Amino acid sequence: MSELSFVSREQDGLSIHILPTQKFKTTTILIHIQLPLEENLVTRGALLPNVLQRGTERYPNPAHLQRHLDSLYGAIFNAGVMKRGERQIIQFYLEIANEKYLTDSRPLLEDGVRFLGEVLTRPLLENGAFAKKVVDLEKEALTKRIEGLIDDKMRYANQRLTEEMCQSEPYRLLSYGIREQIPQITPEALYAFYQEVLASYPVDMYVIGDVQPEKAAELLRQHIPLKPSGVKELPPTSYKKDVAEERVITEELNVAQGKLNIGMRTQTGYADDDYVHLMMYNGVLGGFPHSKLFMNVREKASLAYYAVSQLETHKGLCMIMSGIETGNYDKALAIIKEQLEMMKRGEITDIELNQTKATLSNQLRETRDNAGAIANMDYNGRLAGRRRSLEEILDAISRTTKDDIARVAQKVEIDTIYFLRGKGEAK
Amino acid sequence: MKTKRYERLNETLYYDQLDNGLEVYILPKPGFSKTYATFTTRYGSIDNEFQAPGKERIKVPDGIAHFLEHKMFEEEDGDVFAEFAAHGASANAFTSFDRTAYLFSSTQDVAHNVETLLNFVQKPYFTDQNVEKEKGIIGQEIRMYDDDADWRVYFGLIANYYHNHPVKIDIAGTVESISKITKELLYECYETFYHPSNMLLFIVGAVNPEEMMELVRKNQAGKPYDKQAPIKRFYPEEPETVAQKRSVVHLPVGIPKCLFGFKDKRAGLIGEELVKREVATEILLDILFSPSSDLYQKLYDAGLINNGFSADYSGEPQYGFSIIGGDTKDPDALVSMVESELKNVLARGVDEESFMLSKKKKTGEFLRALNSVEFIANSFTKYRFGGTDLFARGDILEGITLEDVNARLKEHVDFAQFSVSIVTSSEA
Repeated sequence: MSELSFVSREQDGLSIHILPTQKFKTTTILIHIQLPLEENLVTRGALLPNVLQRGTERYPNPAHLQRHLDSLYGAIFNAGVMKRGERQIIQFYLEIANEKYLTDSRPLLEDGVRFLGEVLTRPLLENGAFAKKVVDLEKEALTKRIEGLIDDKMRYANQRLTEEMCQSEPYRLLSYGIREQIPQITPEALYAFYQEVLASYPVDMYVIGDVQPEKAAELLRQHIPLKPSGVKELPPTSYKKDVAEERVITEELNVAQGKLNIGMRTQTGYADDDYVHLMMYNGVLGGFPHSKLFMNVREKASLAYYAVSQLETHKGLCMIMSGIETGNYDKALAIIKEQLEMMKRGEITDIELNQTKATLSNQLRETRDNAGAIANMDYNGRLAGRRRSLEEILDAISRTTKDDIARVAQKVEIDTIYFLRGKGEAK
Repeated sequence: MKTKRYERLNETLYYDQLDNGLEVYILPKPGFSKTYATFTTRYGSIDNEFQAPGKERIKVPDGIAHFLEHKMFEEEDGDVFAEFAAHGASANAFTSFDRTAYLFSSTQDVAHNVETLLNFVQKPYFTDQNVEKEKGIIGQEIRMYDDDADWRVYFGLIANYYHNHPVKIDIAGTVESISKITKELLYECYETFYHPSNMLLFIVGAVNPEEMMELVRKNQAGKPYDKQAPIKRFYPEEPETVAQKRSVVHLPVGIPKCLFGFKDKRAGLIGEELVKREVATEILLDILFSPSSDLYQKLYDAGLINNGFSADYSGEPQYGFSIIGGDTKDPDALVSMVESELKNVLARGVDEESFMLSKKKKTGEFLRALNSVEFIANSFTKYRFGGTDLFARGDILEGITLEDVNARLKEHVDFAQFSVSIVTSSEA
C-alpha cells in the first residue's frame, strides 16, 4: 500500500518518520527512545518518563499541564515504557485533533509538537535537578505499580514464567524496573541519567496524520531540539538458547482459577526468514478461536475459557496461557502437549492452514487503520534490523506450507511450565 | 434507502428499516482497509423477566443472555468461527446490561462475512449436550472474573447501589445460576428477543452502501419472519436510595482498589434528554476529577491516586450512576478527602473557565473516537436503542451550558446517594 509509506530521515542516531494520510481526524506523534534492557538502567528508565510527564518549566504541575492539553481540544498525552526484546523503550505519545474538523482553525499540530518538546527538553527543575516532590511521588507510584502486578493474575503468571525461564538473561526484567532499586534514586541522579539518555541513545520520532512531511519534520526539529552526541550501538537481542531440560514451577495463591502458562523457545527471531512461518505456527497453535488450543482445550474438553498462545517477537519465545480448575492440571497439560506434538509432526489440516492464513492476513491488514499500530510495525522492523512491508509479509503468509510450519515446530521446545494454583486444592 | 449527511464531520449515513422490522445502518469510511459490522439485539442481562406475545410471563436464570450469546456460535455443521476464519474475518460477541452484540471485522470477503453474521445469529442450534458442555467453559469464565480485582470492585459498587434492579447481577451469572439453564429456556429467550424487529445491523468501513443494503435486503427477504408484537419486560420496583453505603472484598492484591460514586434518583429519561444528561454529567465529572482539576492535584500530592484514577458515568433509561476511583494505598483517606472537597465545590459551583475548557476537551475526544469503527458501530447502536443519534451528540455537547452542569452538580453529587466499594488483600 504505497499510500502508507513513511518519509524517513536519519541523522546522528535521531530518526524522523512521517506518514501523511487523510484517514484520521487526528494527528498522532510518537517518540521512542531505545535503551538496552539492563539491571543498572531499567529502574531509572521506567521512572524517567513518569517524572517528565508530571510537569514542565511552563506547566509546573499535573493540573497545569492537563489544562493546557484540554485547551488543545483534549489532546491525549502519555509517557511510559515498554519492553521490545532486550530493549526498554521510553515512549511519549500525543494525539491531537486536526483543526480541519473544528470550527476553530488554530494550528494545533505546532502547539502539540511544541508541548512535546517542552516535556522532553524543558522539564521542571529545582536547584539543577528534578523537583524532589515529583520524584518522591513518582517513586512511590512506581513501587505501587510493581507491587500491583499481582492484581492481574493472567499478567502476573506470565511475568513469573518469564522470570523463571529467563533467569540468566536480561529479558527476565520487568519494564517497570526493580522495586528494590527505587529508594536509592535521587532527583540529582535521575537528572544526570536524563541528560545521558537524551545524548546517547537512539531516538525515533513518528508523525501520522494529514500533514505535509517537510513541514512536520521542520516542526519537530524546531520544537524538539535534541542534539545526540555519540549515540551508542546497542547489542542485539539474543533469541537462541538451548533448552537443557523442561522445568516445572508450581506456586500457590488464594485464587479461584489456576493459571497454567508454558514458555517455549522457538530459536527464531523477527529478522529470520522463518519468522513469518513462526507467525503461522502460532496462529495454527493458539492465536485464534479456530486454533488447536481453543478447539481442544476449550471447545472439546470444556476445561478452560481461554487457552491461547502468543509470540514474544524479538525474543523468539512462544507463550501458552490458560485458566483452568486446579484439579484439571494433568488433563489440560496432556492436551496441550499433544497439540505441540501434532504441530511437530505437521498434522495440520488444510482447513486449519487456510483459516490461519486468512485470519492472520486480516489481522495484519487491520493494523493499517490504526495510527499507533502502523508506527509500531515500522518500529519493530527497525529494532530487529529487518523491515518488511505489509505486502511482503502477506505474500510470505500466502506461500507458507505445512512443511514450513512443521520445520519451525521442530525448533520449538518447552523451556518452563508455570502453574499458579489455588491454595489448599488438590492437584 | 435514506441518507443523512453530517457536514461538519464529513460523514454520510445510509439507513433503512426492512419489511421484517430490522433496522440497517451503513457508514462508508473511504480509505479504511477494514469493515466492522455489529448485529445487535435489545436484550441483555437485565432482561430476566418478560412476556413474549401470546405466551406466559417467565423469570429466567441469571446469566442466560450471556449463555445464549456463547451458544449462538455453535452450528449444526460446525463452529461459526471457522466459517469466519476461512474468509479472513475475526468474529466476536459481547453481552452488556441491555444489549447482546455479534460482530466481525475483516479486510476481505465483506459481503460473504455479512451474510455469515446474519445467518448464524438467525439460526440457533442448541442441544442438551452442547448446553452442558458450555457450562464448563462459562464456569471458567466466571472463575476468571472472580479473581479479577478490577471487575470485583466495579460490580461491588453497582451491587451497593441497587436493592432489586437486575443491573446489580453479574452479566455471566453464577456457577449455580447457569446450572439451571436448559436448551428449552435458551430457545424461549431466543425466540422472544432475536426477532429482526428487536435488532439492529450496523456496517462501517470499506463498503459500497447500495450494494450492501441490497445484499442485506435479499438475505432477509429469504427468511420467513412473522410480525412480532412488542415484548413486555418486567423490572422490580427500585427504591431511590442506595442499598449499601460501603462494601469490602478480600482478594490477594498488591494495592487496594477503591471505587465510589453516586446513584441517580431520577430514572426514565429517553432520547435527547437522556443524552443531554449524559453529556452534562461527563463534563461535570471531568471538571471535578480529571487531571486538570484541583481535587486531582490534591489527591496526587497526597500520594492517594495514580495514573489509573478515573471517573465515568453510565446513564440508561432505567438506571444511572457514576463510578470514580482506582488504585490507592489508603481507600478511607481517599474517600474522606474527596468528600470534603466535593462539599466545597457543591457550595460554590463550577466556574466558567473550567467549564469551557472541559467542553473543548470533550469536543476533541468525540472527534478522536470517530477514528474508531468499533466505537462508531457500538455507540451508534446504544444511542439508537436509547431513541437518539450518536452523530447528534456533537450538537448536544455544543448546546450544554454552565447552568446545565451546575444543575447536574446539585442533582448528582448527593451524599445520601453515595457508596464506596473496596477490594483489599486480607493481610492489610
